[in-house]
Amino acid sequence: MFANSGYIVSKAALLPPLYILTIFVALLKLFTVIRAFSKYAERYYSHKATFTILSNVRTFFFTKLEALAPSLFQRFRSGDLLARVVGDVESLQHLFLRVIYPPIVMLVVFLTTIIFTALFSLPVALILLTGLIITGFCIPLIFARKQRDIQSNIRQNRAQLSTDTTEFLYGFLDLKLYRKVPFKEKALRQTSDDYIEKQENRGKQEQLSFAVNHWFSLVTSWSVLALGSYLVSTTELDSVFLAMLVLVSLTVFETAAPMTDAPSYFEDSRNAAIRLFSIIDEAQNQQELKSKNRLVELQKAPEMECKNVDFYFVGESRPTLSNVSLLLPSGSKTAIVGPSGSGKSTLLHLLLKLYSPSSGTITIQGQPLDNLDENQLWENISPVLQSNHFFYGTVRDNLKLAGERFSDKEMNEILSCVKLDHLSLGDKVLEKGGNLSGGEQQRLAIARAMLKKGNLLFLDEPTSSVDPITEQQVMNRLFTQAKGSSLVLISHKLTGLERMDQIIVMDKGKIIESGTFHDLMKRKGYFYQMKKIEKSVFYK
Amino acid sequence: MKQLKDIAKKHKKDTYSLSFTAFVIGAMTVTQALLIVSIVMLIFLEEKSFSAVTSQLATLLVVFSLRGGFSYIHGKIGIGMASKAKNHFRKSLITQYTNNPIQTSIKGQSGKRVTLVTDVVDEIDPYFSKYYPQRILSSIVSLMLLAAVFWQNWVSGVIMLVTAPLIPIFMIIIGKKTEKKAIQQLEKLTSLAGKFLDSLQGLITLKLFGKGREEAAAIKKSSMEYRTATMDVLKFAFLSSLVLELISMLGIALISLEVGLRLVVYQNISFFAAFFVLAIAPEFYKTLKDVGSAFHAGKGSIAAAQKIVDELEESDQIIQWGNEQLSQAAGPPSIRLNNLSFTYGEDHFSLEGIDAAFDPYSQIAIVGPSGSGKTSLLHLIAGMYLPSTGEVLINNQSLFNYDEGEWFDKLIYISQDPYIFSGTIKDNILIACPGKNISQEVLTYVLEKAGLTELIGQLEDGTNTLIGEGGRGLSGGERQRIALARAFLKRPSIILFDEPTVGLDLYTESILQESIKELAQNATIITVAHRLHTIKQADCILYLEKGTLIGKGTHQELIENTKDYLTMLEEQQGGIAG
Repeated sequence: MFANSGYIVSKAALLPPLYILTIFVALLKLFTVIRAFSKYAERYYSHKATFTILSNVRTFFFTKLEALAPSLFQRFRSGDLLARVVGDVESLQHLFLRVIYPPIVMLVVFLTTIIFTALFSLPVALILLTGLIITGFCIPLIFARKQRDIQSNIRQNRAQLSTDTTEFLYGFLDLKLYRKVPFKEKALRQTSDDYIEKQENRGKQEQLSFAVNHWFSLVTSWSVLALGSYLVSTTELDSVFLAMLVLVSLTVFETAAPMTDAPSYFEDSRNAAIRLFSIIDEAQNQQELKSKNRLVELQKAPEMECKNVDFYFVGESRPTLSNVSLLLPSGSKTAIVGPSGSGKSTLLHLLLKLYSPSSGTITIQGQPLDNLDENQLWENISPVLQSNHFFYGTVRDNLKLAGERFSDKEMNEILSCVKLDHLSLGDKVLEKGGNLSGGEQQRLAIARAMLKKGNLLFLDEPTSSVDPITEQQVMNRLFTQAKGSSLVLISHKLTGLERMDQIIVMDKGKIIESGTFHDLMKRKGYFYQMKKIEKSVFYK
Repeated sequence: MKQLKDIAKKHKKDTYSLSFTAFVIGAMTVTQALLIVSIVMLIFLEEKSFSAVTSQLATLLVVFSLRGGFSYIHGKIGIGMASKAKNHFRKSLITQYTNNPIQTSIKGQSGKRVTLVTDVVDEIDPYFSKYYPQRILSSIVSLMLLAAVFWQNWVSGVIMLVTAPLIPIFMIIIGKKTEKKAIQQLEKLTSLAGKFLDSLQGLITLKLFGKGREEAAAIKKSSMEYRTATMDVLKFAFLSSLVLELISMLGIALISLEVGLRLVVYQNISFFAAFFVLAIAPEFYKTLKDVGSAFHAGKGSIAAAQKIVDELEESDQIIQWGNEQLSQAAGPPSIRLNNLSFTYGEDHFSLEGIDAAFDPYSQIAIVGPSGSGKTSLLHLIAGMYLPSTGEVLINNQSLFNYDEGEWFDKLIYISQDPYIFSGTIKDNILIACPGKNISQEVLTYVLEKAGLTELIGQLEDGTNTLIGEGGRGLSGGERQRIALARAFLKRPSIILFDEPTVGLDLYTESILQESIKELAQNATIITVAHRLHTIKQADCILYLEKGTLIGKGTHQELIENTKDYLTMLEEQQGGIAG
């Protein structure tokens, strides 16, 4: 189009017939309008498609993280993961919009221009081609190399900022109590300063890359002008076209401008992608270990058995569980007791299929647990863990985790079962249940598990923060509901264990005793000693 | 908008520098056009030889270099301003979160706050790195170019003058529409982050309840909403660039037509003027177009600034500490609670009119059913909550008259669930005495006292084992013992214990009992107690029910005077026995 108008002016100077002029002007306007509209449509659809892809990437990422759930926080920090899913995914958009797209546009525009120019003057076309190669490829590539370090640092700094802020907020109470707030605040400011400094460096680099590129494009136009002038003076070029060629070269480089950003965005996206896919790969490996068989049908309260189970945490030489064998018959009630760190909770996690045993087998209905689709197992479980998570929302939202089907009436009944009558379903629950006391949290977790009505009740110190009288009432309700179900209770207290079918006593990762309450008391072994200590501690 | 403008105003020097570089760039643009036109003129119309234009060509090269150099400097100033602005906003947020009392800090979702500190602050960038310098550049350069065109050919100047204002007018109309949308977009972004972080924390719970898929769907929904909000903003951005494109195309076409017609049909314009105008016109519209697209980026920044300012204003009361020193004289201070009340706001949880006084070295037990406000009372005494009415008096002065650091130096609070920071075991213990040099002997002693020696012996890296997020998981008992080690290191004169022996194994419990006894020799201890043993030993028991103080006194006195206490005790003993 610009060639068009340059041509018009030059021609006009030599007084061409008027009709040529009008045709050119009409064409010019038509092109203009079409280009503007097609650009609008193209941008709209490419952005829409890109953002849809991004939101799919986020969901995909989250589902992959799930596979890593049990040991996720031993490997990653939550602030870092947040940075990945929000910021890193967000920056992938640039890959689609600012890295892949501009070179295509630039190439098309440039090549047509060069072919067009070559019709008039081959040397000028060659200069434009050189200019294209330098500004479109060489300079961006040189800066891309420079950007590489800066970009990966920026991503890391950003993740660091996110991680530090998350920890600052989560640990705020303890930070305050230990007067670490000013210290952490300073660290946070430092991280922020580093991050901003890196961003500033990147910005300056981009600016420099832009300026250099711009300068080169001007120099190319200058060369066109100089060469054109020379060619005209040696009459190799018709002087009519000089003005046109100069205007063409000045305008054509406008499409090269987005190319200056491309290397920076490319590096940014590349780093983001590396960070995202490192986690996804890990998750994929984890996934492969899992098979997706479904047992024909899990019976009501299926029997479970552990045979010679050993378990090591990654990177630890000491077994957390060694040679653990136990049988949980259908409908049985089992208690696991023992000192802190004896492996009770780990054993429960293995039964929940959150971890796999390092050696030995766990079976359910006689089939290896490894072969079972975990979702099928979890459908049958009512869990209360040591730390139960409560989501930001209402009491109702948190109960509905057990299923959507429950009416308000049912949920209110359950709340009164666990003596939480003073809560109403619409009451707000803050993040991590921050506005509930420890006892309330535990009872809400029990309510949730009772609502779920699984046939396998796995309870890890469910009532440790609840006062004894309420505890007893709640446990009675729980036992009534769990009549036909299997129940495994990890208990910190040795009271109320008379009604259990078996008591497993653990120490240092081993089962050292098991039997009914009366067996163990009669045997006068470890359990009997513990019971004696408990009495001396509590009933002075 | 206002905040960003204020910041821009504060950096007057930068604004002046920007204006100066803009002026140079404008002058270079005009000179460049003049030179190009005169070279073409000489060669084309006057058919001079190549050597006649070499000096002009050389000058042109210099002009190009100056233009490039100055536009680099121009951009750099903007980037510098953006850094200062981001710094300002991020630090205000951090200061805000630092000063928040605990009751405010637990409201809202952490993920949202993290995104505010990271992504939303980053959104401020374009206003200063793009919009603000571009606005100065465009207003100065466009005026200069306009003047140059008027000088050569006033008719084209008039065309420019008529078409150009359409660009800012459209920008204003469209900008108004975008502003709300941009705020919505940020809203969706922060709630996506809030949702994600919350779900992440509860991933195991979600899995066990078979809700993984639904949660993924919820995240997808949240992410899609963000997409829609983003597209809403972008739609306007694209529309405005479409309009800008059309206007500038229209302007250029009109000028080409006008120049062409006058040159060919009326022949009342020189080739020099015509070519000059044609060389300037695209520069003129381009600079206006640039400010248009930068304007959009700037709108996002304005929304971001708005969002941050909203957050900064949200804080209700900030706890203001004084600078009174706690007397260095031996022994713990006296503590008095004077008509102390507290409420979370709309929530059910509250304390009402608590009066009590604790002597130095006394052992206080707070007793009551779960949910009666025991923990809140402990938070109030610690100075973590701001009371709604009444006050905590320390040595007969309001707690908040004292220096914050002084107070927390004297105090240790072992909460139900001590937070373990991501770091080594040693780091996590030394947190109790920041800045002090702790010898290996002291550390060993402290570990021994807290019953951690055996555990650490079993770990390959000993006290350098990483714990917390990104490290080894700890059991509840182990966490409590880490907190205990912190207490031994600190040797406080006031100890606040929240349900100390709850949920632990017998070993940890006996360690705790002994340790507390030892620590109590030099301190006042206030315990939220569940154990009869602790209660019986207490010098004073506060019996709470539903946030009110029902009875106060020793165990014996309460048994005699407070019926509810007796009932609870009987039930409790029944409970334990059963």
